[in-house]
Amino acid sequence: MASSLFQTLNISRQDIISHLLDLDVTSSNLANVNTAGYKTTRSNFQEMLNEQMKEGTLLRSTQAITTQGTIRTSTNSLDWAIQGEGYFSVTLPDGTIGYTRDGQFALDADLNLVNASGYPLVWDGTIEEGMTNISVSSTGVVTATDAEGVTAEVGTVQLTRFPNPGGLTDNGNNILLESDISGVAQTGDPGSENFGTLSGYHVENSNIDLAQEMTHLITLQRALSMSLRAFQQTDTMIAEAINLRKA
Amino acid sequence: MIKGLYSAVSAMVMNATRQQAISHNIANIQTPGFKQVLTTVQGFMQDQPVYTSGNLQSTIIEYVGNLGLGSQIGQEYVDYGQGAMQKTDNPLDLAFQGNGFFTVQTPDGNRYTRDGRFLRDAENNLVTVDGYQVLDDAGQPIQLPDGEISVAYDGAITVNGEAVATLGIGVFADPAAELQHTEGNLFTGPAASTGDEVPQVVQGVLEFSNANPSQLMTQLVEVGRSYEAAQKLVQNQDELLGKTIASLGRIG
Repeated sequence: MASSLFQTLNISRQDIISHLLDLDVTSSNLANVNTAGYKTTRSNFQEMLNEQMKEGTLLRSTQAITTQGTIRTSTNSLDWAIQGEGYFSVTLPDGTIGYTRDGQFALDADLNLVNASGYPLVWDGTIEEGMTNISVSSTGVVTATDAEGVTAEVGTVQLTRFPNPGGLTDNGNNILLESDISGVAQTGDPGSENFGTLSGYHVENSNIDLAQEMTHLITLQRALSMSLRAFQQTDTMIAEAINLRKA
Repeated sequence: MIKGLYSAVSAMVMNATRQQAISHNIANIQTPGFKQVLTTVQGFMQDQPVYTSGNLQSTIIEYVGNLGLGSQIGQEYVDYGQGAMQKTDNPLDLAFQGNGFFTVQTPDGNRYTRDGRFLRDAENNLVTVDGYQVLDDAGQPIQLPDGEISVAYDGAITVNGEAVATLGIGVFADPAAELQHTEGNLFTGPAASTGDEVPQVVQGVLEFSNANPSQLMTQLVEVGRSYEAAQKLVQNQDELLGKTIASLGRIG
C-alpha cells in the first residue's frame, strides 16, 4: 500500500486544527471557572480510518459534562442552587425558553424574578409590592413575608430535565437551549423522582476542576507541538524527494 | 548500479509509509481507547549476482552470494496494550482494566471497541460518541430508564438501583490475531468471546491512547534520518551512474 507524503501532511494539518479547536474549548472552560452552574465542556477526538487509509484524528464533537458542581452558601435568599438533576427555565427576549443552572435571581423593578441577564424566571406565582424575605423550599415552594409581616406561600418553581443534558445547545450567557440531541424537556417538582432539590442561600459552583483543566492545557500544548513536529518533518521529506536530482 | 538506485528509493518509499503511521499515532494521542498502529520493515527481493571472469570465452559462472534489493513495508499490526487511565467522574465514561472490548452496533455490523465514551441519546439509548448503539450481553441495544446510572465491575448497569442490562463484553485470547482494525477506533472480530479472562469495567474513567510520546518522537527522528540517508544514497548512485556514462569508454 503506497502512501503519499501529501496525505501524511494532511493528517498533521487536521490534527493541528483539531487541537486548536480544543484549545478554544479549554480556554472557555478556564474562563468560566467562577461561573455559577457552568458545566465543563470536553472535546471528543476520534480516530479516522477510511478503507484502511489512515487519516489521523477528527474533533467529532464537544460534550458538556453535566456532573454536579459543589454548592457554596451565600447571603442572598434569592440564590437558589439545584442539588441533583434539572434546570431553571427562563424566558429569553425573543420568547423562547432557555435553561440554566445558575440560580442567582433578583427582583427587577416590575417585581419579576430575573436572572443575572435580566431574563424572567418561569414560575407559577407573583410577588406583590412590599414583600420581603422571599425564599424557596427544597421542593420548590416559594414563600414571602408581606408588608403586614405575614409569611405565606406565593407560588412554586418547577425544574426541567432532559434525557441527554450534555446535548443542550449553548446559547451563551450561561443559557442552554433544547436541541434534537438533548431530547424532549420534562418538567417536574423539585425533589420528585429524578429531579434535584432546591436550596436557598446557596449557589452551585461550576464543575470545572482548575487543576484538571491546566493539566489538559499542558497535554494539549505538548500534543500540538508533536503534530507540528510531524508536519515539519513530512515537509522536509517532501523537500528531500523534490531535491532528489541534484542540479 | 541501477539495482542500488532502486534499493535506495525503496527505502524512501518505505519510510514515507512509516511516517504516515507515526503521524496517525501522534494525531490520536488524545483519542480514548486508541490502539497504536505499528509498522514492520522487511527486506525486499534478494538477487543472486554472478561473477564471470573478464575473459569472454569463459563459461564459468560463480554465484557470489545474495544481494538485497532494498526494503519494503511489512505487516502492519495493532498494539493492543493497555493505555493510561484517566479519571473523568462522568458516570457514562467507562474503561476496561485489562482485557475486554465493548460491543457496538454500526450500520456495517457489530464491532468491538475499547473507547468507553458513552452517552444517553435523546431517545434514552446508550450510544457511543459516534452515535452507535452499545449492545448488551444478548446483543440487543441498551435502553436506559431515567435516573442515576451505575455500572458494576462485571458490566451490570443499574439505574436508580434497579438492574437494567449487562454490557456485552468481548474478551479475546489473542486480539492481535483475532481482531481486525476496520474503522476508526472499531475492530471486527469473532461473534463470541474466545478468552476466559474476567473483564473488569471501571466507571468514571477513560482509557487513553497506548502510544508513548517519547517512543513516537524517537520513531519520528529515526524515520526522518533514515529517509534522509536513503535520499543521499539515491543521489550518490545517480552521481556514480552519471560518472560511468560520462567517463567509461571515453578514449583519450
